[in-house]
Amino acid sequence: MRTFLLILLFSSMLLLESSCVGLRQINELAIVTAVGIDTGNKPGTVKLSAQIIRPADARGQTGAPAGGTGQPIYSISAEGNTIFDAIRNLGRFSSRRVYWAHNFMIVLSESYARQGIRDMVDFFTRNHELRMNTWVAVTSDKPDELISTITGIEVVPGEAVDKLFRNNQVVGLAPGSNMMNLEEALLSTSAQPVVARLQLQPRGISNKKPEEHGSLKQVELAGAAVFREDKMIGWLTPKEARAALFFLEKLESGIEVINCPNNENRRLTLEFKNAHMSVKSFYENEKPRFQIRLKSAADIVESGCNVPVEQLRDAADASLEKLMKQRIENVLDKAQKQHHSDFLKLGDIFRNKYPQEWKRVGKDWNQIFAEAKFEIETNVDVKSAVVKAAGDGIK
Amino acid sequence: MKTFRISNGMFIAMIVNLIFVKAIGVTQGELARVIGSDMWIATFIGMLQGIVIMYITYLALRKTPDRDFISLGSAMLGKWFAALVALVIFVFYLAAFGPIMITYVYHLQEYFLPEAPISLFIIASLLVGALGCYYGLEVIARIALVGLLFIFFLNGLIIIGSTHEFDMRNLLPVLESGLPQTAAASLHFDADWAMATMLAALIYPHVKDVKKYGAKLGIIGIVTSGLIIVIWAILEGAVLSGEVTAQYTLSCMKLARNAHIGNFLQRYEMIMIALYSISALFEVMFCVYATSVCASRVFALKSNKPMIIPVCLILGAFGYWVVDDHFWALKYLEFYWPRVALPIAFGLPVLLLLLRLLFGKKLQKAKPAT
Repeated sequence: MRTFLLILLFSSMLLLESSCVGLRQINELAIVTAVGIDTGNKPGTVKLSAQIIRPADARGQTGAPAGGTGQPIYSISAEGNTIFDAIRNLGRFSSRRVYWAHNFMIVLSESYARQGIRDMVDFFTRNHELRMNTWVAVTSDKPDELISTITGIEVVPGEAVDKLFRNNQVVGLAPGSNMMNLEEALLSTSAQPVVARLQLQPRGISNKKPEEHGSLKQVELAGAAVFREDKMIGWLTPKEARAALFFLEKLESGIEVINCPNNENRRLTLEFKNAHMSVKSFYENEKPRFQIRLKSAADIVESGCNVPVEQLRDAADASLEKLMKQRIENVLDKAQKQHHSDFLKLGDIFRNKYPQEWKRVGKDWNQIFAEAKFEIETNVDVKSAVVKAAGDGIK
Repeated sequence: MKTFRISNGMFIAMIVNLIFVKAIGVTQGELARVIGSDMWIATFIGMLQGIVIMYITYLALRKTPDRDFISLGSAMLGKWFAALVALVIFVFYLAAFGPIMITYVYHLQEYFLPEAPISLFIIASLLVGALGCYYGLEVIARIALVGLLFIFFLNGLIIIGSTHEFDMRNLLPVLESGLPQTAAASLHFDADWAMATMLAALIYPHVKDVKKYGAKLGIIGIVTSGLIIVIWAILEGAVLSGEVTAQYTLSCMKLARNAHIGNFLQRYEMIMIALYSISALFEVMFCVYATSVCASRVFALKSNKPMIIPVCLILGAFGYWVVDDHFWALKYLEFYWPRVALPIAFGLPVLLLLLRLLFGKKLQKAKPAT
């Protein structure tokens, strides 16, 4: 017994040595906060850019702290035959080991997205380090430039874009596409992926040269890229992306501007709230039909109409209903006629209601979806003038 | 034989721990590959079958509550039959060590220590298993109680971290593959509760109030496990979708990687793994216990302790052989393991119940088990 216990004790002590297995000290890591993926210069290659945080310079202050460079990020890029190959090539000149666990976003160039993203999704979902709520976006600009552009008041660009995505429902002009919902849509047989669009816009004003408006580029989150299978096939404008959000993310609120009923040169701003979309599917004569109903309340948040708001109410209801219906029709038209891609997940609704029929038509869904009929009904009720009195005579 | 007793709660905790680890870890992925998001229904159907077999196991032992399956076999057909029963249960738990190691090793190695050698995980777990087994069933049962508490914490964490991504549409349409195929898929979950019914076959005589509560304790154990596991099946289906769940060996880790509480508490799968590891180590402990008890009965030894090291060596070699190659591991898990587990889990209790009905009078004359 004594011998057995001694063997056990010494064996346990040997196991303590395992604490060094896979050891990675934090000061030896290159912590990636954003990744850009583009097509390489040589055909068939991938160019990968990584935005790596400089801990000494990214402590929430601008300017160069003692011992720092003043640059909160260090951006590098490398090419390879595959993403993993490009990452390994980063290791040729990165002094630290690349670490993915704190990555905020993956930005794909349009040319890369049009070639197909299946291997990108596979790589990042196969990698245990990456968070599944890492944002994914497509850009028509250069991804390496985009991920290196300091946006907003954040020190680290990746963190700034992360916050744009987190608040995407406030503006409501782009989907919150992350690795989790992208993988789900890519694997689904009844839905197609849709990914947010990021672009560089000359929006910033330099404090040193305020007269040069727009001298600083900022990253803008607006619009979306539409896919069929794993290949990008086109863009959605920000307004179309908003309509898509009713289907995809149950968008509840947003701002819409309409013309004043009494004067087409003046504007009335409405904030729709508690919007709720219900979609029902039907299968008649071997053709699907969808009944789409959008119901919402709205507030008058800005009026330049110079007439009492009570007189505007009915006209505002009708105008917003018409506008929303038009938006939905536009995005459906784009999905059905232009892109032949069911990125609005209507196939999911059909499949859930008609599982037996889905087995028959599912494989040709994009063609069948193109022939589907839609009935759209919008119902808006303007209910409030916010803090101003909604009574008679108050403008 | 009855030198110690384990409480009713410990017995239930042992059943839950033994089923839970593999059922949430790898079984849901197996089910998703067969029937998509209907995995929760298959788990539920499997649970009902588990209740039936647990009841049959109780019926086989009801008249002789001081005997386990091996000593029951001895009383009915003699020591050779008892040795055969012991050998069958030994083979069962040896085969069960494969899925247990797949679950345990891949969780730790793939997600936390990819550079650590497989042997490290196997040796470390067997050392803990051997130690627990050396101190006896009561210690193992107490660990199961702690494991059960951690399972509740684990379920709480995953529910809080996942419900904001819950999409009911992913669980629809219900029974898309049809009821027969869903029922057939439930056999994968049957292979999980099989470990629990075999556990009951060995330790029923040590349970404190088995005479008072009868089959209720075992059935409560199966139902509790089923309900705890169904939560994971529903979450994996609704949050990840059936298609995504099917892509992963360890679908529960995929769900854990997605879970987050607010913006600041992210990537807390390490906490979940710490909670999960107690149950995984309990499984290893019980495997060592069951195989050592069966081996000692085959060789007619009075104590299982001399067999602990030999069975650890056998289990370790077998476990390494199973997990070394992922392709083989998955084939073993989905093809070979159910073919070993299910005939034994369904067949042995039914066979012993039939024999007990045939040899009832002989059993009454037999001396009480010692």
